[in-house]
Amino acid sequence: MITIIIILKSIVIGALVGFGVGAGAARMFHAPNVQGMGAFRTFGELNACAGDPISHFSFGLGFLFNSWASVVGAGALTQDVDHRVIPNWSAAILLWKNKNVEETLHNPKRMAFAGALVGVVVVTLLNSTATAIPESMQLVATKVLVPAANWLINPIMPIVFWMAALDAGKRTGIWGTVLGGLSHLVMGNAVPGIVLGILIGKGLDDSGWNRITKTMVVAVALLFILSGFFRAFDVALLKSLQVEIPEWLVQLHETFGSAVKK
Amino acid sequence: MNELQAKGFWYSEWAFALFVACLSSGIFAGTHLYYVYHVGAFNDIAIVAMLEAGIKGGGYGAAAAFGASFLFARILEGPLVGILDIGGSLQTGIGIGVPALMLGAGFTAPLTSFPLALATGAVLGLAIGAVIILIRKFTINSVNSTFGADVMMGAGNAAGRYLGPLIVISAIMASIPVGIGATAGAAIFYHYNKPIAGGAIIGAMVLGAIFPIPTQ
Repeated sequence: MITIIIILKSIVIGALVGFGVGAGAARMFHAPNVQGMGAFRTFGELNACAGDPISHFSFGLGFLFNSWASVVGAGALTQDVDHRVIPNWSAAILLWKNKNVEETLHNPKRMAFAGALVGVVVVTLLNSTATAIPESMQLVATKVLVPAANWLINPIMPIVFWMAALDAGKRTGIWGTVLGGLSHLVMGNAVPGIVLGILIGKGLDDSGWNRITKTMVVAVALLFILSGFFRAFDVALLKSLQVEIPEWLVQLHETFGSAVKK
Repeated sequence: MNELQAKGFWYSEWAFALFVACLSSGIFAGTHLYYVYHVGAFNDIAIVAMLEAGIKGGGYGAAAAFGASFLFARILEGPLVGILDIGGSLQTGIGIGVPALMLGAGFTAPLTSFPLALATGAVLGLAIGAVIILIRKFTINSVNSTFGADVMMGAGNAAGRYLGPLIVISAIMASIPVGIGATAGAAIFYHYNKPIAGGAIIGAMVLGAIFPIPTQ
């Protein structure tokens, strides 16, 4: 019974997701004049398959296996479903009959409907087979994939992004380092901070201190202050400096629903 | 594609908000599936694990801060580079960050009810789409910077390459047969020019099915 409910809901979810992903992917080919949606790596990979339906299909298939192993192990479909499987399989379906990429892969309308179809099939297949997989294989996925993915998120990704920020120039290096370190302290992972550092550093390189870059710096500062407060970083900092935590700060945290341990 | 063809509904700005709404609706409903049936979240294991830590009682702070900051960074970046990153903005922001914020604040209804999950995602997506279109209106003509999008995408691709070797190492630490399976699978996939992460996973699973990993 539960499997039937999961299948029915997956059909709805797959159609919605596939529709959005397909249209967004096709619109990427018209960026920056038209706002697209996907990712630069998705865009690059779609271009790398060069309109060959078999390349698009097999590229998507490789990542379907990744998603399948992950959904079995941890119930997570992986970002590959939206970034790789749906766009590439939609492209493969459309290109099968018409090799002209401008009429198929670059057309948001056709890609949206092909994406919806692929989304229904892929999401339903992944979600419904997850419960039918033997426990020994689920164990492999959780014992092997989870640690590997955790290492990737921390420390591999922070290091790779950090190096990229350092290599991109003095400004991105400094902003990336400072915001990366702060972000690891406050948010528990350096990547968001380094990404923001590259954004600000490159923005300053290209256009200097203008309204947009100033707004960005203020917004980033606000983000750090707010997430630091809500994760009680201020209290932890005072504690590690062995400073008595003032009563008003404890009360301020309480008004937002978080109890502070003294 | 010439200018004439890039007109009409499918290329319009407000259609973009609609596409974001559809996708966000599906992604948020995927998190509903995960919350209720433990399957179907649209994200990578490590990120879903942050939400899981919250569901298990470990606090939603990590998932909320991680998701919200990614969402924020991508909304800034999306209109400037012309491509909204689905992974960071919608899958991590709407699919993990916002649910973590809601659950942390005690609102479970949007995640326990399927129709409410669809509606919540759609409304959030529409809002994000509208914000992006607005930022475009204000900035697109006054800036010619990609804000380092190329640097970030390069780093994103480079980080992805580490996953294959990490899986092999992790498999070897799990058990000897699983480690051998992952090593062989990765080598075979590399020989056929496939991403080695896929081969490592399949190799580990096949051998793991025959020789199960001992539980403690």
